[in-house]
Amino acid sequence: MTAFAWLIIVPLAASPLVYLTGQWGIRRGHPGAARWAGLIALLAAWVPFTQAAAGFAANGTATLTAGAQMLALDGVSLLLAALALGLGTLVALYSAAYMAADDGQDKYYAMLVLLVGVMIGLGCATDLFNLWLWFEGMAISTYLLVAFYRTQPASLEAGVKYLVQSAVGSVFVLFGIALVLAQTGTLTLGEIAAQATLTPGFLAAGALFVIGFGVKVAAAPMHTWLPDAHAQAPSGISAMLSGVVIEAGLIALLRALSALAGLALPWGVLLMAFGALNMLVGNLMALRQQQVKRLLAFSSLSHVGYMLIGLGVAVYAGEAAGAEGGLFHMLTHGLMKGLAFLAAGALLWALHLARGDHGALTIDDLRGAARRYPLIALALSAAVLALGGLPPLAGFMSKWQIFQAGAATHETALLLVVIFAGLNSVLSLAYYAPLVNTMYRREPSEAVLAGAPVPASMRLPLIVLLLAVVIVGFWPGLLAGLTGPAGAALLAAFGGG
Amino acid sequence: MSASALHILLLGTLALIGVGLYGLLAVRNLIKVIVALQIMVKGALLALVMAGAAAGQPNLGQSLAATVIVADTVVAVVGLALAVQVRRYVGTLDVRALSSLKK
Repeated sequence: MTAFAWLIIVPLAASPLVYLTGQWGIRRGHPGAARWAGLIALLAAWVPFTQAAAGFAANGTATLTAGAQMLALDGVSLLLAALALGLGTLVALYSAAYMAADDGQDKYYAMLVLLVGVMIGLGCATDLFNLWLWFEGMAISTYLLVAFYRTQPASLEAGVKYLVQSAVGSVFVLFGIALVLAQTGTLTLGEIAAQATLTPGFLAAGALFVIGFGVKVAAAPMHTWLPDAHAQAPSGISAMLSGVVIEAGLIALLRALSALAGLALPWGVLLMAFGALNMLVGNLMALRQQQVKRLLAFSSLSHVGYMLIGLGVAVYAGEAAGAEGGLFHMLTHGLMKGLAFLAAGALLWALHLARGDHGALTIDDLRGAARRYPLIALALSAAVLALGGLPPLAGFMSKWQIFQAGAATHETALLLVVIFAGLNSVLSLAYYAPLVNTMYRREPSEAVLAGAPVPASMRLPLIVLLLAVVIVGFWPGLLAGLTGPAGAALLAAFGGG
Repeated sequence: MSASALHILLLGTLALIGVGLYGLLAVRNLIKVIVALQIMVKGALLALVMAGAAAGQPNLGQSLAATVIVADTVVAVVGLALAVQVRRYVGTLDVRALSSLKK
């Protein structure tokens, strides 16, 4: 049994145990038992992760065959696993205080651990149906987490919208899989790639994959569930949804499309077109938001756009730097948006939730927050400025790499795309900067003055992520060990590089 | 399997998915929305069985369909559980009532 099998098995097997521990705790009068179980389960998964990472560094792609099914740990899977496990562990720690007063912590942590497990599995899938199954598992665990505040109509509304749109997307993917199976007689990605040619059947399958997985990636115009779901979920889950789940959807989309690379269709152009649209829609919608978490959710849309452009450049021009840039942005976006949602969530918790108020955190509430919550205000400011692409923070480095890759192709059309992306990056400061301004330069609001103190267990993940955002900004090469092999694996799957 | 039989099945698949999609857009009751989703999934199931038969691997298609039934039942259960909570805390099953989150 290879280490990476344990990497998938540990979280999956731990999930029901976390639930049972939580149930046992509730009966014995320790309602917080599940949080410890969840945290221990995720920490335990780091052991096989480090082994799998060391194995990958030494031997390259590892495979695991169970029956006829094969899982493979390549660069892309390792990157996704690092992101899911890293953010998941911090979120579990953060949620200990954030969710302490809520019922159903047993279910919350069980689903969180399950979510991390299925996302690691998703990255390792090597056949289409397997990919769909992990994808569906990811969807189901997030439905329950989005609608976690099940007595709040707004959460239920977000959950219903998310479930319906996501389920339609998954039917489209299934139909696409059926079309591929009917024409090739196989579901293995590599074997399909060898057989796929430009026929109406494969074309339809490609379109169905783009629409179906596009729902989870929140490619505009299939994005309408995202702002509701990301804003209404508990803040830790918002960080997971925005920092890892849409990225996992993107990886699923790329894996499925790589099987159809033989169609000789301009997939790269399609990705870049979606990327440009996403940036514009996300930025314009974020500009008019008054609620902090909704604003951050819309900004996720535009950041998916940057990733799509980087990956699109890679697929279109065979530019390895583009794939690395896109995947690097995936990692930094996970750090930045995770930090932004956790910091905004800490303020939401201190100003509203700790006082039993499920209202939304508005920009106006943040007035003068830096006076009373200096660390959290600093974390939120650093996160949004990094998202806006201010040097020397992490977001600047990954965006720069994407722009550079696009410019390196010396094609006028790609240069225009890069310039458009750069302008969008500037535009995004128009909604990030007022957040910082409100926190630092205004007199404290009543909500801030009456706010609850934020416990240390919520501040620790913020400090870790804050340091990561700054350090990666100064030394972007630190993550090259993850993004390099991942970019190469992605390009190889598309037959380029 | 003969080509004409395949075409009939493909039409059936498309019809099921179309009916489901139309239902999603037309109905206002949350339970009916979930029924419409289920009709769409049934179309995809038929497509998988058909694909297995067309590729000469009927057992593969059927086992995929059986797996989808399991995964999809979970989705339906979660959807119905949400419907119960919506009825309880929003007071109606009308999806038009679920539009407080705008823009």
